[in-house]
Amino acid sequence: MALSTPGVPERRVIPGAEFVEDVQTCLNVNSALAFLQERLQQYKLVEMRLLAQQRDIQAKIPDIEKCLDVVAPLQTKKGTGYNGLYVCVLLVSLFYTCNSRITCRIRALITDFEASEGIYYWARIEDNDSATALLQKNLDNAKASLEVVDANLQFLRDQATITQVTITRVYNWDVHRHRIRQAAAGKDS
Amino acid sequence: MQQGGGPDTEVTWEDQQNINKFGRLNNRFHELEDEIKIAKETNDNLEDASNELILTDEEVIRFQIGEVFAHVPKEEVEGRIEQMKEVTGQNLEKLEAEKDSVLAQMTELKKILYGKFKDSINLEED
Repeated sequence: MALSTPGVPERRVIPGAEFVEDVQTCLNVNSALAFLQERLQQYKLVEMRLLAQQRDIQAKIPDIEKCLDVVAPLQTKKGTGYNGLYVCVLLVSLFYTCNSRITCRIRALITDFEASEGIYYWARIEDNDSATALLQKNLDNAKASLEVVDANLQFLRDQATITQVTITRVYNWDVHRHRIRQAAAGKDS
Repeated sequence: MQQGGGPDTEVTWEDQQNINKFGRLNNRFHELEDEIKIAKETNDNLEDASNELILTDEEVIRFQIGEVFAHVPKEEVEGRIEQMKEVTGQNLEKLEAEKDSVLAQMTELKKILYGKFKDSINLEED
C-alpha cells in the first residue's frame, strides 16, 4: 500500500484583496463594510483549511523520515539465498510506508510466528532499494506540498491583513464624515 | 494590530505592504520560537542520553533508529549521539540567528510605521 502522492496540493483560488487608494471614493459605506467583512470571514475559513493541511503534512514528514532511517542503511545481501535482512520492526511503521510486497511478507510471517510480549515482529524486507526510493519520493513530495501550502498561507494572510486595514479605514472615514456633517449642522442651527 | 483615529494620515500602498510584511514576520517569529523550543528539548534529551551512556556498563545498547530498536555496540552509539548533538546544535544556531534577524526587521518596521501613524496603529502583542 503505497503512500498516496500528495504531489498536487489543493489549488484553491484565493480571491485577492483590492487595495483601496482613497477611501473617500467609497460612497456606500455600509455595503462596502458588509462586503469586506464577508470577504474576511471567507479568508478565515480558507486559513483554517490550509492550517489543517499544513498540520497533516507536518505530521507525515517525521514518520517518513523515521522509516527511511530504518530502511536506507540496510544492505541488500545477495548470494546467501535471501534478498534482504531480517529486521525487528514495529509493525505500524512498515504498514504505512512500504510497498505492498513488503506488507504481504510481513503478514505471512506473522501467521508463522508467535507475537512477543507486545509489539515486536520479525519481518523480512524483500526489495530494499525500491523501498528506499519509494520512501524518498514520498518524502520529497510531502516537502514540496508543504512549501506550496506555506506559500498559500502567506498570500492568504496578506489578503486578510489588507482587508482588515481597509475595513478600519472605511469605518474611520465614515465616522469622520459624520462628525463633519454634525459640526456643519450645529453651525447652521 | 489595530488602527484608529481620523483619516488625517492616509494609508499608502507602501504602508500596506509594510503592514503585511510586519504580519508575516510576526508569524514567522512565533513559528521560530516553537521550533527553537523543540530543538532545545532534543538537545537536552541527547545530553541526558550521553550521560546515561557514560553511567551504563552494558556493552550493547538498544539504539532507536526510526521506530526500530537496533542492537548497537556502545562505541558506535557514542559516536552517533555525538553526531546527532552536532546536527541539533547547528540547527539551533541557525534558528536563533533567523529569530534575531526577524526581530531586527520587525523593530525597523515598527519605527517606520509608528513614525507615520503614531497612535493610530498598534503593533504590540495583545
